[in-house]
Amino acid sequence: MQLSRLLARVLAPLALAAGALLGSPARADTYEVKLPPELSSSPRLCSYAPCQEVMPGATQFSERKGQPPYVEAYREENGQARLMGYVMLSTDITDIPAYSGKPVVTLIGMDTQGRFTGVKILKHSEPILLLGIPEAALVRFNDQYLGKFVGDNIEIGKSRPAENLIGLDAITGATVTVIAQNQVMMTSGSAVARQVGILKPVVRPAASFPPPAGPLPDWAALVAEGSVQHLRVRPEDVGLKGEGHPYMELWFGYLNQPTVGQAILGPEGYASLMGRLKEDEHALFIIRTDGMDSFKGSGFVRGGIYDRIQVRQDKDSYTFRDLDYINLWGIQAAGAPAYQESGIFIIRSHKGFSGAYPWKLVFLGNRIDKESGAKTFANFDQEYWLPAQRLVGGRPEVIRPDPTWLKVWKERALEVAAFVLFLATVAGVYAQRDRLVRRASHRNKWAVNGFKYSAWLISIGLVGFGAMAQPSITQVLTWFHSLLFQWQWALFLSDPLIFVFWIFIILSVFIWGRGLFCGWLCPFGSLSELLFKLGRALGLKRFQFLLPAPLHHRLKYLKYGIFGGLLAVSFFSMGLAEQLAEVEPFKTTFLVGLFQRSGPYTLFATGLLGLSLLTERPFCKYLCPLGAALAMPTTFRWFGLRRKDECTRCKACAKGCGSQAIDPKGNIDARECMLCLDCMVLYYDDHACPPLAQERKRRTKAGEALTPIDARGYFIPIHPAAPRTDTSTTPGAPR
Amino acid sequence: MTLADRQEIRQPPYHRRQGLARLQAEALDHLWPWRSGSTQHRGFQRISLALAALASLAWALAAFGLLPPGAIIGSWFGWSLLEIAIRYAHKPYVKEGPWWGHLYRRASLMDLVCYVGFKNLLIGAALFLALRGLGAVVV
Repeated sequence: MQLSRLLARVLAPLALAAGALLGSPARADTYEVKLPPELSSSPRLCSYAPCQEVMPGATQFSERKGQPPYVEAYREENGQARLMGYVMLSTDITDIPAYSGKPVVTLIGMDTQGRFTGVKILKHSEPILLLGIPEAALVRFNDQYLGKFVGDNIEIGKSRPAENLIGLDAITGATVTVIAQNQVMMTSGSAVARQVGILKPVVRPAASFPPPAGPLPDWAALVAEGSVQHLRVRPEDVGLKGEGHPYMELWFGYLNQPTVGQAILGPEGYASLMGRLKEDEHALFIIRTDGMDSFKGSGFVRGGIYDRIQVRQDKDSYTFRDLDYINLWGIQAAGAPAYQESGIFIIRSHKGFSGAYPWKLVFLGNRIDKESGAKTFANFDQEYWLPAQRLVGGRPEVIRPDPTWLKVWKERALEVAAFVLFLATVAGVYAQRDRLVRRASHRNKWAVNGFKYSAWLISIGLVGFGAMAQPSITQVLTWFHSLLFQWQWALFLSDPLIFVFWIFIILSVFIWGRGLFCGWLCPFGSLSELLFKLGRALGLKRFQFLLPAPLHHRLKYLKYGIFGGLLAVSFFSMGLAEQLAEVEPFKTTFLVGLFQRSGPYTLFATGLLGLSLLTERPFCKYLCPLGAALAMPTTFRWFGLRRKDECTRCKACAKGCGSQAIDPKGNIDARECMLCLDCMVLYYDDHACPPLAQERKRRTKAGEALTPIDARGYFIPIHPAAPRTDTSTTPGAPR
Repeated sequence: MTLADRQEIRQPPYHRRQGLARLQAEALDHLWPWRSGSTQHRGFQRISLALAALASLAWALAAFGLLPPGAIIGSWFGWSLLEIAIRYAHKPYVKEGPWWGHLYRRASLMDLVCYVGFKNLLIGAALFLALRGLGAVVV
């Protein structure tokens, strides 16, 4: 009863804190806000977006223009409108997703010199900014762009003047979000800067083509060698239901190359086309062989631009107007498929395009959100690079930039290597547990605990507080949704330590169970148990308690309920699930800081840590949804801890089990076991394990030898040697 | 031995089989939660068979694009709950130790929640992704 009162006293403030926390008014301003549909469709962008905030001083804004679209900002000066710069909506230009899998809708201002004048987040879906990190952190991050030139090499991390690299400070705990945001800023800014001439196109050496030799290739040969490429968009990629047809199926190729051009148009058609092109102009053909829509766009008007297709070469993009279009009357190559729509498009001169270098045909589509019916920008592309035999001297050398995730891995290579080494060491040490526990005794467990405590200290200090690589249930929910809806490797690879940690966790859970992570490596779990040990060392032992077994065996299911609840809620609202996932005090403890957050969060986290001084791992045992998620597959762990037949009657191990994971029948509940190895130390300890101690005493009394203890946990039996019957060895026999 | 209490051991009827025959038996065991020849709980068995047919029908409808993703996930979740109850009555055992091992033990309700939850998560995700790949399900 006294215990229950104590528990009630301790839990009451925690419950209050949790209630206050969930009812906390601290909300993000732009999290999943409903934006007007006209924002992405109306020509008058600035009637629906606060353009003045990103272009201070501007009094007038044009309609959307260009492809990708932007708005011109003007100021009245002496009765005349002076161009101040450009305003763009990021989702008009790129669909780069952030951590949530959805883009951060950003309004960006840039002056006529190409310097950023303002950045405003209109909408985001980032869970970490909902509760864990204040939205103001993203605003502060964006403010770092102000005054910076769009053509600069800007990346997350430290500046490297020797490499002309300008570094931006990341948001601790939201690395993936800011990496994506940096891509959004630079992609959007440079796309508009190139259109308006602030950034000049890269001038690439012109291609030189060998004359056709031998018979012209047929369609299949052109496709096989890569001179004709294929771009297919599935209906589900744009949020539509598939009815046996692709949404868009395009075939395209570069016509300036004589062999390709003549194969497609015939020699006369090719000569005619080349006669119409000026020097440094390029033609490509596109046909649509199947699909549910037009690639030219149903709303195309004379004098307008084809807003569904675009060519991109590196960072330069090329759009087509009506005058850039020529009818394609037919394809001469044998075996060409029937098509429903076709055209020849001209890339005009002085734009730096070269047929010798790779380029992409981009289909600019819209993805329809089924819930809201809102359209979001989505593009689909296919690379084209003339085969080496179609270029004099073969393909030029092209150095492709590393994807962002790879850059992060390279930058943090040492950190990743050290972390892998740490995890491998812990796994290696645990794999040797049989040797370690034999060296330990119930009075001196340092052979095991030395390693375990070292792992804890590294986990808490370096992994938790240092690298902030505390795994969380939110990652499980995100992965679960990504698996079903849209898996993006690049997204998960953006945080190398978390990625490596999860690979390790998944493997170790199936090999040994959740205990190796939860008991040895989880930063919060380690901190919690370390506090318990500290409490004991500091004289709090008399206040320390375990919950009564019946209560414990009921409460331990609470964490599964929390996990199931979070998973269920996440299907309806990921945002709400992320909010509820604050039941994990990890963000407060490691990511944001115990005293950096509002009162309820701090009270909740410190309450749990305070309770840990009195009882072992209360959060891990009863509340941790991540522990529950890992406990479920632990049912199928390959290698469990050893048990003896006597364990059914003897309760010695069970009494000392801080996790209360040994049931009355002596079996270990692997789902609850933290693999502390205390029971395994006892298992081999002939002074502590009652059946072993009994046998030791009996042998000592009988004067029998104490043989080594075998893997089953018993002294190796002594069998009297059988009488020798071999006459050759009997005494006195001739040898 | 990872079990202290040997009375917890529950070997399924096929535990002596080897090689391909064993793999087949195990595969069937994963997919068919009813014990063959069982005369217990006849009414429950009939109802659960009918509901299993409905769950299968839900996947078939999904394959023809006639069921939204939420309904597929919901029906599979519902079936999983029922499967736990069926297994608890008919096949209350889970494997102890590595998947290539031959040792089974008595399953508690929580063991079956974990087993069915995990197995059906894998089956459901595989089917769901296959249907998504075929364009029958749009999310």
